[in-house]
Amino acid sequence: MTRFDTTVNGTAHVAEVDGHESAVEVIRDQFGLTGTKLVCGGGVCGACTILIGGEPTASCLLPATSLRGTEVTTVEGLGGSGDSGAPSAARLHPMQRAFLAEDALQCGYCTPGFVMGAAAFHDRWRQEHGTAEPDRHTIAEALAGHLCRCGAYEGIYRAVAAACRGDHDHDGDEPDRVAARVDGPDKVTGRAIYTTDVTLPDMLHGALRRSAIAAALVGRIDRSTAAVAVDLLGDDRRVRWAGQPIAAVAAETPSEARRVAAELDIEITPLPFVIDPEEAKKAGAPLVHEDRRARRNAPSAAEGPVLPATWDGNRRNSGTVPFRGMAAKRRVRRARETGTGTLVELELSTAPQLHSCFEPHACVADWSDPARLRLWVSTQAVDHTAHSVAEHFGIDEADVEVVADNVGGGFGSKVSLGTEIIAATELSRLSRRPVKLVLDRHEELTGTGNRPGSRMAISMLADDDGRELQALLVDVESHAGVGIGNVVGALAMLVYERSPRLAHDYDILTNGPPGSPFRGPGGPITAWALEQAIDEMAHRLGQDPIALRQRWDGNERRGALYRWAAELPVWRARPVAGAQTGRFRRGVGVAAANWFYFVDPDSEVVVSVEDGRLVASTASQDMGTGSRTVVARAVAEVFDVQPTEVEVRLGRSNATTIHGPTSAGSRTTVSLWSATTDAATELRREIGGSVSAAANGTSATARRGGDRGIRAVPITVAGIQIGRGFSGAVHVSEVEVDTRTGRTRVLRVHGGIAVGRIHAPELARSQCEGSIIQGIGLALYENQVLDPHTGLTLTANLEDYRIPQLGDTPEIEIHFEEAGWDHVPGGGVGLGEVATISPAASIGNAIHNATGWRATALPVRPDRMIEALSERPSVPSAPSRGAGR
Amino acid sequence: MSGITFLTSADLPPGVEGVVRAGGTDLQERLRTANATPHILDLTGIDGYTSVDRDDDGTRIGAGTTIATVARELSDDYPALAATAGALATPQIRAVATIGGNLAQRTRCWYFRHPHTACLKSGGDSCPARGGRHLYGVVFDTSACVHPHPSSIAMALLIHDAEVALAGGQSRSVAEVLGDGVDPTRDNQLGDGELLTAVLLPAPWPDERAAYHRSISRFEAEWPLVEAVCRVRLDDGGRVADCGIGLGGVATVPLRMRAAEDLLRGSTLDDDTIASASAACTQRAEPLPETGYKVPLIEATVREVLERVAADQA
Ligand SMILES: Cc1cc2nc3c(=O)[nH]c(=O)nc-3n(C[C@H](O)[C@H](O)[C@H](O)COP(=O)(O)OP(=O)(O)OC[C@H]3O[C@@H](n4cnc5c(N)ncnc54)[C@H](O)[C@@H]3O)c2cc1C
Ligand code: FES
Ligand code: FES
Repeated sequence: MTRFDTTVNGTAHVAEVDGHESAVEVIRDQFGLTGTKLVCGGGVCGACTILIGGEPTASCLLPATSLRGTEVTTVEGLGGSGDSGAPSAARLHPMQRAFLAEDALQCGYCTPGFVMGAAAFHDRWRQEHGTAEPDRHTIAEALAGHLCRCGAYEGIYRAVAAACRGDHDHDGDEPDRVAARVDGPDKVTGRAIYTTDVTLPDMLHGALRRSAIAAALVGRIDRSTAAVAVDLLGDDRRVRWAGQPIAAVAAETPSEARRVAAELDIEITPLPFVIDPEEAKKAGAPLVHEDRRARRNAPSAAEGPVLPATWDGNRRNSGTVPFRGMAAKRRVRRARETGTGTLVELELSTAPQLHSCFEPHACVADWSDPARLRLWVSTQAVDHTAHSVAEHFGIDEADVEVVADNVGGGFGSKVSLGTEIIAATELSRLSRRPVKLVLDRHEELTGTGNRPGSRMAISMLADDDGRELQALLVDVESHAGVGIGNVVGALAMLVYERSPRLAHDYDILTNGPPGSPFRGPGGPITAWALEQAIDEMAHRLGQDPIALRQRWDGNERRGALYRWAAELPVWRARPVAGAQTGRFRRGVGVAAANWFYFVDPDSEVVVSVEDGRLVASTASQDMGTGSRTVVARAVAEVFDVQPTEVEVRLGRSNATTIHGPTSAGSRTTVSLWSATTDAATELRREIGGSVSAAANGTSATARRGGDRGIRAVPITVAGIQIGRGFSGAVHVSEVEVDTRTGRTRVLRVHGGIAVGRIHAPELARSQCEGSIIQGIGLALYENQVLDPHTGLTLTANLEDYRIPQLGDTPEIEIHFEEAGWDHVPGGGVGLGEVATISPAASIGNAIHNATGWRATALPVRPDRMIEALSERPSVPSAPSRGAGR
Repeated sequence: MSGITFLTSADLPPGVEGVVRAGGTDLQERLRTANATPHILDLTGIDGYTSVDRDDDGTRIGAGTTIATVARELSDDYPALAATAGALATPQIRAVATIGGNLAQRTRCWYFRHPHTACLKSGGDSCPARGGRHLYGVVFDTSACVHPHPSSIAMALLIHDAEVALAGGQSRSVAEVLGDGVDPTRDNQLGDGELLTAVLLPAPWPDERAAYHRSISRFEAEWPLVEAVCRVRLDDGGRVADCGIGLGGVATVPLRMRAAEDLLRGSTLDDDTIASASAACTQRAEPLPETGYKVPLIEATVREVLERVAADQA
């Protein structure tokens, strides 16, 4: 052991290390400064940034011993220390205030690191340039070592520019007043506690042993080398994908736990497996789910319940949606044979996209008191988790508490009872000690779910003038690894209505990691096919793609968006497809989106007065979407106070809390807003307008309930009811393609969103901007790559799994159409998913507009662009009829 | 045996064995992934380790000099090297990573770094990338290993005819230290425990024109698909008196493009010369099934740097 001195935030510390440790471990685990986050562990994301002598440094790769004798600043000390030497909450660095005011964050997990890097840039910039405003390029270069998965990049640009201009110099700003989000002040100072930051006395650390091979039968697990170990396999003892957890162990330190897990002696009999979906379809391919029982237990990539289906080997028929389907098929066949009408036929493919939440899946379980199970979980569903944990462990729900004060992103991957929860709980039960289990980035990017890849074929038939859509056929094979329940093609049936149409959805099972719900499950994939097909149709017909959609799309809300989009200067000035011959080619594309309106009518909110303060609570959570702020604002509106005067208690489910919605299916805001308003109104009726200690103890509870008038599907399944009406979005994107190096840059995106009334405009805008950023990732960079021979995930780090950077952010304008949702209490529905569907497709169409080449395979990487452009001469592509399959 | 020894001289004390560590930006990630706790030999306290010294014959850059320092302090006399340094990784990494560590870093192949698989560089008996996925692999297929060498700095040093000083006093050319890349088990020809103490650059070229470019999919901070660096010295008639073109991301060692250099020497930097020099860089390319795109990309990347150098002259 080596001991050394270092000064952190003005306070002397002594560290004790072995030698191989990184600085982040010492700062978090020994000094307890958990504002510094560990995300990629590879120097890519900057979440672990600290200042050493004022220089930003990635502490995940910095040897701990390099802290020897240095002056370190962490986010907790960024604003300087008060006289007492302790960091004072009131003193913030101008950059922290700027992040608050410009809403430069969502989940906040990247925020401490970003703030540190940006503050250092600010200090240097101000010294050299005074209050001149740095341009976006300069900011992006300076912060190239930072990533934000939520995609709060627009806000970050604004914040950095504003702070450098000197807009936030005044120490007098009260952070709470300027903050767009009520939890912002905790997040920019590193005070916000996430599950990964929880430390309990006497706590053990857990680690998972994962399978290195894609299929196996597991025999005896020798647990004698581990103090505590649990077996995680089902009765069938089968491993079905490389990376699947087999067992979990607990030890005194994380690295000890990892060592013990790696050394567990496990009897493993390899079984045949199949990784390539095309191979998996062939007769005689190894069966991924070998019998009915296995098929019944297959993990689901769907957000709701999965309906029973027919199987044919590794092919599962997950649904056929016909509307005069035979007519549709007949018409397309005839068009192929006779060449009449305008027939667009495309074959497309998409690649698996990883959620890559910045806070990894994590759980701290404390079952040291057998009568009470307490869990800290990084989850988008505290209430549902409490329920499923109680069910899984056969205990009373009243004895379970689930806490998720802050959640560093979920995007759909944190809705179910994950292995980390089951393993930590079981380890705690056995050891009678608290156990913490945090996945590392490698695990996070391998086995916590993905937006499944797919292969699609679409046929779209119109008459010669495009007056009428005559037939639409969509065939989709989804590749969710061992997972099932993908619905993609069916979604394409809902947009351009009235024509004969037919969709087939199949799951092709392979021994790959399971897919899971990801923001608008199926939606962006559907759009990649449908919206490119209609674009191609417009191109062949020589018509305006927006005008064609206006003719075929009966949705009035989208109608308003089309009118808005058609008037955008960038749209009106768009080039003729494929007409450019220079090195850099610009293009503009449009795509539309359609999504459901989901609500959880059983959601409840209680508003009360405690210690003379307004308190609102419900068993929901804020994973960066802003639900805490939305609830605060709803109460504040009723009482005419500042949102920061309302204390919002979310992220907790226990015997005393009431039911709150899961943050998935875009249902949180729409489930909470009116219930909060109703409860607050009721309370106000009881206590009058002024809140004082005299009212302490009064409270009112309201349930969301259904909508006015009829509902589309009046049954609630798994906390979801499908409400009446579809939400809509339209995206117009401008790209620039470098035909030499194959790189595509997105320059500008206009996003039109029709979800009715917007309750918290800055936050809503941020959500929509983040959707665009993730759409850019899907379109251009992101791809989980598996080794074809072993099924191992090769892109299990943030270097090889490429998510969009600050410098990839286009200029973004978000436009809201607020009409059309009067039947919904509060006047608006959720937007987290509808906003995520059309960005990638609009980029595909813009690429076609720029180059004349129709990109069918996602992501449109430089290699694909180069190969495509070297095959085609650079002449304008003449509108042509009929394309063979 | 875990623990740490802080070295104060490049000569290892007798009996001390372990893994040398400079900035740690490569090593720490590998240790974490492998959950390894070897004995560490920390280089950061070695005398003269971080200094940059110039004299008439050239420049000595201590092995512990950071990439950021190289980018900042050598931009006047060695612009090609400085531009290469300034474009790699991220500002935070450049502030810590050392030039010695950059030369000695291990491959970034996704099989090599994967905890559940072995390759020729990690004790395995075959290259899983060759028959597996190698989208970022080599174009010049000269080794059983198919992942490109990671060092951008080595590429730039090659076209400077640079040498490295080793502990014990000898020096070797960078080209020798890199070797021919044929041995699939190694990233360089340094012996076990052989320490780099400095990089030695010959005297700078007066009026060097230089350009660096990396072709990537995103804005920045991404390993190059292909990277190229070029330095040119013109005579009074505007003809190329001397030049160097380095290419990275394409072979198990960075390459110097001698054939293209020969085409440039004695010519003006006109479009035709640039086109033929760029095309010459793809001679003998033997792409793998997934790296065919890199052939046109080599040409595009070299053309990019040559055009920039030519424009500089106007
Ligand atoms: C996100 C990211 C992107 C990157 N992009 C690039 C890029 O585009 N181009 C590029 O070139 N690099 C890139 N790098 C790699 C980076 O430049 C290297 O990690 C760094 O230069 C290594 O230097 P270090 O001092 O940190 O070495 P360390 O991590 O300390 O050591 C690296 C290796 O070299 C050995 N070593 C160190 N010093 C010596 C010495 N004096 N003598 C002998 N052996 C020694 C060590 O034992 C170890 O095996 C990137 C890194 C990251 C994290
Ligand atoms: S955690 Fe250190 S850079 Fe990502
Ligand atoms: S706010 Fe940046 S990762 Fe969530």
